[in-house]
Amino acid sequence: MMILGIIDNAFLSLISSAIPASTVVVLAATGCLLGERVGVLNLGQEGLIGIGAVYAVIAVTSWGVESPWLAFFIGMFAAAIAGLLFAICVVVFKANQVLVGLALALGGIGLSNQLGTNRNGTPIRALFREVNPGGGLKDGGFFEAFFFHDPVVYISYIFLPLVLWFVLFRTRHGMNMRAVGENPAAADAVGVSVLWSRIGYSVLGAAISGAGGAYMVLSFTPTWSPDIARGRGWVALAVVIFAAWRPFRVVAGALLYGSMISLGVTAQARNWGLLFSARDLAFALSMLPFLVTLAAILLPAGAAQFGKRVRSTTAPAALAVPYSREDR
Amino acid sequence: MRSKAYRASNELRIQVSESESPFAIEARGISKFFGGVAALDGVDFDAAWGEVHALLGENGAGKTTLSNIFSGIYRAEAGEVLVNGELQDFRNPAQAIEGGVGMVHQHFKLVEPMTVAENIHLGWPDTPRVISQRALEERTNALMAEVGLHIDPTAKIWQLSVGEQQRVEILRVLARGARVLILDEPTAVLTAHEARELFTVIRGLVAGGRTVIFISHKLNEVLEVSDRITVLRNGVREITREAKGATAQELARLMTGEERTLEVEHRTVTGDAMLELHDVTARNDRGVVALESVDFTVHAGETFGVAGVSGNGQTELAEVISAMRSVDSGTITVGNTDITNSTVRAITDLGVGHIPEDRIGVGMVGSAPVKDNAVMRNYWTDELSTGITLSRDGVVDFAKRLVEQARVQTRSVYATAGQMSGGNQQRLVARREALIAKQVLIAVHPTRGLDVLAAQEVQTSIIGQRDAGAAVLFVSDDLDEVLLMSDRIAVMYEGKIMGIFDRADADRETIGLMMGGHSPAEVSAT
Amino acid sequence: MTTYRLERRLELDARTSALTRVAGAIIAMLVVGLILMLTGRNPFSILMDALDAIFGSQRGMEGVALRAIPILMTALAVALSLRLKIWNIGSDGQFLMGAFAALGIGIHVDGPGWLVLILMALAGSIAGALWILVPALARAYWDVNEIITTLLLNFVAAQLVTWSALGFWRDEGSAVIQSTERVPYTLAGIPGTDSLTIAILAPFLLTGLLFWLFRSTTIGFEIDMIGGNPKAASFAGVNVRRRLVSVMLFTGGIAGLGGMLQLSAPGAQQLGPGFSAQFGLSGFIVAALAGGSMFGVLGGGFFIAAMFFAGIILQTKGLSVFIIFAIYGAILTGVALGEVASRYRLVRAEAAGVVA
Repeated sequence: MMILGIIDNAFLSLISSAIPASTVVVLAATGCLLGERVGVLNLGQEGLIGIGAVYAVIAVTSWGVESPWLAFFIGMFAAAIAGLLFAICVVVFKANQVLVGLALALGGIGLSNQLGTNRNGTPIRALFREVNPGGGLKDGGFFEAFFFHDPVVYISYIFLPLVLWFVLFRTRHGMNMRAVGENPAAADAVGVSVLWSRIGYSVLGAAISGAGGAYMVLSFTPTWSPDIARGRGWVALAVVIFAAWRPFRVVAGALLYGSMISLGVTAQARNWGLLFSARDLAFALSMLPFLVTLAAILLPAGAAQFGKRVRSTTAPAALAVPYSREDR
Repeated sequence: MRSKAYRASNELRIQVSESESPFAIEARGISKFFGGVAALDGVDFDAAWGEVHALLGENGAGKTTLSNIFSGIYRAEAGEVLVNGELQDFRNPAQAIEGGVGMVHQHFKLVEPMTVAENIHLGWPDTPRVISQRALEERTNALMAEVGLHIDPTAKIWQLSVGEQQRVEILRVLARGARVLILDEPTAVLTAHEARELFTVIRGLVAGGRTVIFISHKLNEVLEVSDRITVLRNGVREITREAKGATAQELARLMTGEERTLEVEHRTVTGDAMLELHDVTARNDRGVVALESVDFTVHAGETFGVAGVSGNGQTELAEVISAMRSVDSGTITVGNTDITNSTVRAITDLGVGHIPEDRIGVGMVGSAPVKDNAVMRNYWTDELSTGITLSRDGVVDFAKRLVEQARVQTRSVYATAGQMSGGNQQRLVARREALIAKQVLIAVHPTRGLDVLAAQEVQTSIIGQRDAGAAVLFVSDDLDEVLLMSDRIAVMYEGKIMGIFDRADADRETIGLMMGGHSPAEVSAT
Repeated sequence: MTTYRLERRLELDARTSALTRVAGAIIAMLVVGLILMLTGRNPFSILMDALDAIFGSQRGMEGVALRAIPILMTALAVALSLRLKIWNIGSDGQFLMGAFAALGIGIHVDGPGWLVLILMALAGSIAGALWILVPALARAYWDVNEIITTLLLNFVAAQLVTWSALGFWRDEGSAVIQSTERVPYTLAGIPGTDSLTIAILAPFLLTGLLFWLFRSTTIGFEIDMIGGNPKAASFAGVNVRRRLVSVMLFTGGIAGLGGMLQLSAPGAQQLGPGFSAQFGLSGFIVAALAGGSMFGVLGGGFFIAAMFFAGIILQTKGLSVFIIFAIYGAILTGVALGEVASRYRLVRAEAAGVVA
């Protein structure tokens, strides 16, 4: 399934392997974004990825599921349940979102690793197949790098952000949801249910994050291994910030982060001989996305001090703040 | 394009004359409890169609609670609400709006980063499912034409002035067909000019057959704009009467339950110059000039009042004197000491006290115990500290004494300060500052939001400081209060001092003109 | 018949809050125990084994104490910043940078052991403080949310450490691929113990210091004022921005020192990618759970350390260490819910219409 050996051009090869690998981050970041847009911060992405992954694995190895799509949805469903429990705690009971999110991350990692231990290394047979648009495009180069991925990639990178963008910015429903994230009291005053919006989007977001984990084991790492998420859930949180809470920028950011971080691994594997140590360059680059995000946050704040008002990159104002109608 | 709102407003006129009940909204025997305490106890109320009905009362009297019940935010524990003669039980604001009752709150419920058009269309079933900015703007323009209110639909809320934001709120409620409009303390955040405009809007709405319930504790406004007035006190209705013929004294007595007026003996100034500002210029947080060549002197044993509409530099004036803001040019002296651009510690040690405009936001730490708030402005002094350490017992003793002297009603000095009533909080702050203010006391809107009893106590305390020899700078946007308290009066407009008078020479009309921006030359020419 | 109903409390009571939170943790553990029973394991024997492992031997107690040190150092750092209402999720990164700087000194500077160790401690503290400097300045002067800035720097620190382990400070001769060179100096041990060093004193001294700070000093009073209402603190004459930055730098230094202490334990002495893996976030969690009490942090830190220690020991009895993570998550949730419970109280509801 890895196109790595087929494409000669090193850069394209990097891109073509970065795309599926970063899909996990794209999905987790998108899921995170959904929740944050209505004001719910879910730090438990790492756990959701684990849960999605482990249940997809269980579906294939223990329940005999043969269709990758079915296993994919089972993983999503499991993550959705976790998301529901999270939502009940923080939206209904109004518990501290940071703490419960961390609990989900830890609990999810623990649970998924626990369930996965016996399946360590078992190969997954139900895998997503690459899309094959036709022999003419199989050129070992540009087209192959972009057009021969499996359908989930295209869904995550194109279809999903498109749908989300449309819903959030071009529909009445989306506008109401954005209002919930900015000023839940205002939304409540006009009859938008803060409770159900937050629960609904938290669950949906959790499902999508879990999809990232499920996808991973059903394509480019077709087996379970401990700590399957390997920090990508945390990275997803940073990506959402980098993307200023906008769906398409999430894709760009995830790809950037994903490639930068895996650059180190690729450089070592391919033994790149450059003037100075490729490995060092790779590490320096791996820090870059985070530093760039940091700068992206600091610059508007600094500019604001000197009189320029920049508001488009700020977080939903009510992020992580529980809402209660009689709290006025 | 005939929008739905247009049709609705036309229908309204017809509907009103065919309506079953002359009363737009009624309450019968309403009771509501919070934490075991009755906020409303068996209250009856009615407002007719086409009427402006004022709900008057002090803080905590129950006006906002009753309105919240009308508008679906709270549910009553007992009693009934009828809209147009029909029994209603609104469980949330959306149901209330559907029932024709809409409320504009003191604290606006607008989404700041979104546009006016978006805010108007939020959560509204009439909004089309698929939207675009342009479509929303067109619809908003049509609505505004029907109702007669105008704001730029493409503006983001954070870009609008407070008065304009309020209009968005009103428009939003009207667009959804509200026929009963409840305004909660609408002028609290407006300038005098904006308040005038609001009254015009209200009369226009009422002429079209709607009903406006106007919540306030400002007697003069209520007398000016209402048809009928209901006074609530401690959750009970005291009276409902026609506005025509009512007097402020009578209403005040009903609001507070007692007749008490404060008598202040005014003096001609003979003391030494204590606080002097020479040619002070300063900017506000946005970099705009807020004080321009301000020049005046306050003497020991004198109350120097500063009149003017809020937002003309009074806040910055208090801040530059109390070392919370630096000046661009000019000097400020207390006695013989220059305190221009000094530090808070230096001036409190010198004897300058400050009762701030925003007692919760600036003057206190709401989440901290009363004792910590009591020593907030002197905890570093030798009495309580060695510089590094702080004497816990010393703090408690000091706090107890303060609470006793100021008659602050609180369970103990360990109770959370934020839980006290506004009046008790201000008693604490006023006393605390009075103890510091041996030379100068600055008081900015010190009675804002207080009930009559607490307000009078604070005023008495301030006069007491004057009598003890301090120089008192008294800033208020309530001209009556300034005239009551001051020995000399200055008028501020756009950061400039327009004129200074002795109390004996002060004339309301002249001052009013200056508050509106007319220069002394213009005034004397009229 | 009296019925009860839940009513929002007007004032938040610290004591009730502590009680409900502990109750939440206990209930969470009971629920986990129940689940364990349902999946065929015996929670009581597990608990007994765990207690035995911890308290049954000196080795056990030392093991817990060793693990508690890094957790407590980061927890105290976060607890201090929480009093300012600053959420420093970056204590992990500051911890790592402290270890990194200490390592740098330790492998490049020669001299008498005690001197090098002191330099390492200084380097560690300063590095930790520097790592929080930008977020601190951004928060104090530009009002930039510190959760995001410190979180991002965590990632950068982790990458830097991995880089050093695989790259510029890699231990060429070692069989383990991913670790740095060893520092030849370690902290002095405590006589009578096998593995404890003087590092164990640090959290206790620090807890005492911080407790005294908030109880009896003007600085502590001012910190609480800033946390309660920065504008009021300003009104009281505190230079809020400077104080924010200086206190945050101090917390960074504490975390950095913690990193140095961890590095300087005999048996450690080198950095690798998993250096702070187990307790990276625990410091933050313990502080958030302790609700502002320094001694609560002390207790919570030992509890979490004991839990992790037990998890590792119990691996030999067939229990997966991942269960510990799940228990950890459950306890966190229990405490978070307990905190919510403390905002309400049970009140007798009177029959309709009658007011007492």
